[in-house]
Amino acid sequence: MQDDMMLDTPVDVLNYALTLEHLEYAFYRDGLETFSAADFASAGYADNVYDWFGLIRDHEEEHVATITGVIVDLGGEPVAEARYDFGYSDLAGFVRIAQVLENTGVGAYQGAARYLIDEDALLTAALTIHGVEARHAAYLNGLRGQPPFPKAFNPTLTPSEVLAAAGRFIVNS
Amino acid sequence: MDQRERQWRQVLLAEVAAERRCLSRRGVLAGSLRVAAGAAATMSLAAVPGIRRLAAAQELQTDLDVLNYALTLEHLEYAFYRDGVGLFTFDADSRGMSIDDNLAAIRDHEGEHVSTLVKVIADLGGTPVEEARYDFGDAYDDPTAFLLTAGALENTGVSAYDGAARFITDPELLTAAGSIVAVEARHASYLNLLNGEVPFPSAFEMPKTPAEILEIAGPFIVSS
Repeated sequence: MQDDMMLDTPVDVLNYALTLEHLEYAFYRDGLETFSAADFASAGYADNVYDWFGLIRDHEEEHVATITGVIVDLGGEPVAEARYDFGYSDLAGFVRIAQVLENTGVGAYQGAARYLIDEDALLTAALTIHGVEARHAAYLNGLRGQPPFPKAFNPTLTPSEVLAAAGRFIVNS
Repeated sequence: MDQRERQWRQVLLAEVAAERRCLSRRGVLAGSLRVAAGAAATMSLAAVPGIRRLAAAQELQTDLDVLNYALTLEHLEYAFYRDGVGLFTFDADSRGMSIDDNLAAIRDHEGEHVSTLVKVIADLGGTPVEEARYDFGDAYDDPTAFLLTAGALENTGVSAYDGAARFITDPELLTAAGSIVAVEARHASYLNLLNGEVPFPSAFEMPKTPAEILEIAGPFIVSS
């Protein structure tokens, strides 16, 4: 994963975002193959929770496809999905990691936006993903009985901070 | 307000109601009505001083313009909650959390956004726009209308920031704007949930231009 000094070009920023989106999509894709709707129900979640996890997974998949396409259009080389180990052993652990990933994602896009300040269209596109990650994060906070919007200003994360938070899930790339 | 302007206002309030229905997926607004209402906003409401501020925001030339555009919307949001939170008492939400507490938190967030934007604009040597007078239609008449209007405002706020970010030239201000729009998106997610909607209806937010925001928010502004 990139560090602060490597977000020199729009493709660098997009590959940074794609690194996170691959991770998020793989997390939901594999997790929702591991846990069924019945598992969610028996854990006490409302009927729509499983469906909305599926919707979040679909969003992350769309983010992966869109960012990959833009990188190719720009003549860049999209990073590939890595191998991950999220370390959860039950549904509660899966939901907890989901919350971490989404809240990290919001901070990551926020911290990366400044590197797109001269790229109006890419900046706007990145922010339209940023907002959706924030919606996911608020939902997952609430699902875990925590405030959906803990502060008036969402924390911003630098690439180094994101690396520390998300890099531990990456086994190899 | 003369007869003609009253008529335009009715059209525009209908537009806002339609926007809410749109958001709540209880109806689809015909494209022609949207266009008609948009034309109405441009033709009539530019005469109202409070609207001129938003109309002027269609030309976001400087960072200060963007900040005052954001402040115009934050004033509106804060006033909405300040005057509306507490009018109704809600039960706990589906997770057992107090809706009243969460609405109060949203109010406080908007208040912080207002005070921070005012300070930043003043620090940059600009003149912060002041709060206007607002008319939120039927939003204070019943709790359902209140929550639907709150949801419409928050979802609109996200679209407004997303559409305005490209005009910001200072990286620090861009990051700050990002830290606000994320919170608006969190509010929108929660209010959608309360309104029985999908909290995250699309994989991408929908950025709106200042002109489009004027159509939606302008009718709430009675005068500056």
